[in-house]
Amino acid sequence: MEAVIEVKDLVKEYIIVKKESGLRGSLKSLLFPKKTKFNGVNGISFSIAPGEIVGYIGPNGAGKSTTIKMLTGILHPTAGSIKVCGISPQADRKAVVRKLGVVFGQRTQLYWDLRLGESFELLRRIYQIDKAAYEENLAVLTEVLKLHDFMNTPVRQLSLGQRMRGDIAAAMLHSPSVLFLDEPTIGLDADAKHAIRNFIKEINRTRKVTVILTTHDLDDVELLCSRIIVVNNGKIVEDGPIDSIIHKLTPHRMLVVELQEPCDDLSTPNATVIKQEGLKIWYQFEKDLVSAPELIAALSQKLPIQDISVKEPNVEDAIREVYKTTATV
Amino acid sequence: MLQAYWYITKMKLLTNLTYRFEVFTAVATNLILTLASVFLWQTAYKGGSGAVETLTLQDVTTYTILSITLSTIFVCGVQDTIYYKIREGQIVTDFYRPIPLLACYLADDIGDMLSSLMNKALPLIMFASIFFGIPWPASFQSFLLFLPSCLLSYAILWLLSALVGLIAFWVMELGNMGMVKDSIVRVLSGSIVPLWFFPDSVQTVSKFLPFQYTYQTPLGIYIGNTNAGDALTAMSVQAAWIVILFLFLAAGWARTKKKTLIQGG
Repeated sequence: MEAVIEVKDLVKEYIIVKKESGLRGSLKSLLFPKKTKFNGVNGISFSIAPGEIVGYIGPNGAGKSTTIKMLTGILHPTAGSIKVCGISPQADRKAVVRKLGVVFGQRTQLYWDLRLGESFELLRRIYQIDKAAYEENLAVLTEVLKLHDFMNTPVRQLSLGQRMRGDIAAAMLHSPSVLFLDEPTIGLDADAKHAIRNFIKEINRTRKVTVILTTHDLDDVELLCSRIIVVNNGKIVEDGPIDSIIHKLTPHRMLVVELQEPCDDLSTPNATVIKQEGLKIWYQFEKDLVSAPELIAALSQKLPIQDISVKEPNVEDAIREVYKTTATV
Repeated sequence: MLQAYWYITKMKLLTNLTYRFEVFTAVATNLILTLASVFLWQTAYKGGSGAVETLTLQDVTTYTILSITLSTIFVCGVQDTIYYKIREGQIVTDFYRPIPLLACYLADDIGDMLSSLMNKALPLIMFASIFFGIPWPASFQSFLLFLPSCLLSYAILWLLSALVGLIAFWVMELGNMGMVKDSIVRVLSGSIVPLWFFPDSVQTVSKFLPFQYTYQTPLGIYIGNTNAGDALTAMSVQAAWIVILFLFLAAGWARTKKKTLIQGG
């Protein structure tokens, strides 16, 4: 299948002016600035197929937003090529952004002083959306994102959750084929997060919208993304289906056993005790070596077991593992 | 596309009309400024020194009232818009819309201009008329020439403002260059004191700069100090400056887009 987004060897170089402390330092750097070059994005390549929901994740300053800005044509890359729907955003920004919906969680494209609906009306004119199509689209968005209550409220009076829903609707009005979401759930309560996640799933299913999501909320990733791309220090460190990345990075699972009475010999082959608190014991085991039922069977023959549970490693563990191993040296 | 610009203008117009307090303060400040300037001129003319015979007191009064009125209408928010949007990183939300940024900012400023015409310029003229009589143009013909000249003036001012705005993309640390430019324009455009009162050397230099074509040209036409033939010549100079500044802006904008500097995020 033809890729929606094709990125090859993308590099973005920043020039940083080093500031020295104190008045003397400020004067000195004003007259003779010390410039150092730094690659915010350092040779990234990936391609995304239509209908995927991709989590683009990494620690702060990893180069996520820089990549998104280059994909939307806001920044020009130092080297490498980008194709969005077959068009280079640097060559023809306007053609590309027509096909994109963009939401930056920390910014709004809505007009602060005006009613929410008025911002939508402006977008209809900017994207030259046909009146009938606009009405229909808006009706659906209003329904799914529950915008009825605050359609006529000035944007400055909206709560963060309402504003975010407004922003997402604004990004979807022109029926884009790709949606970029930069931290769409930042600062939102559980209810608002839930609504937004549902909406993303919904539009991906019904309209086949390709979604690229950057977030620090790994629940977002776990619930939405089929694939994740992990970046750190301007480079891709992992790219693949979420399950296999978790498996690869954290092959361990945990078995938590609660005993009826204290026992001395807790050892068992294929598993190691990593923690003990009163009658509660944590075993770590590799799932390639032994399956959970096998381990439970072996343990129950030996120990008086009261309760038992298996803990799967989650995305968070995996990601922490990635950040740790690729941290700046 | 035009619909979008018109909508931006309309939204700005509506927003501005809701801020009533700001209107009162603006009218009050400008009225005080007008009164002070005119009184100053009256005193200067009482001395009867021959140096100020270029214009009559009535001409200077009209010139001053009109000049302050024009300054309320000639809104060039673009330099501040760009500066603040870049500072706060908000400019990205404008970049991912399929519409030229600068044209949107122009539409925004025109909205400001239309609202100022209604809620700042008209009240100011009315109050000033009560104090000093209605500032009539020299003739009907000079009024007719004054209008297009004003439009050309605004184009020059706006292009200058947009050019200064572009600087923000390159050097954010310089602070708001707009204020520096505004001070230069205020003096060299003849908006406070007509350049005819300046030494010849200043007047000669000023002929080759765009500034005097923003205020002095239309105002000179209005009070009849510039006759019809000269007015047409002046307007073609205005048009020439518009072309030059526009080319500068287009070139600068193309380069800026290649090297945008965006804060944070």
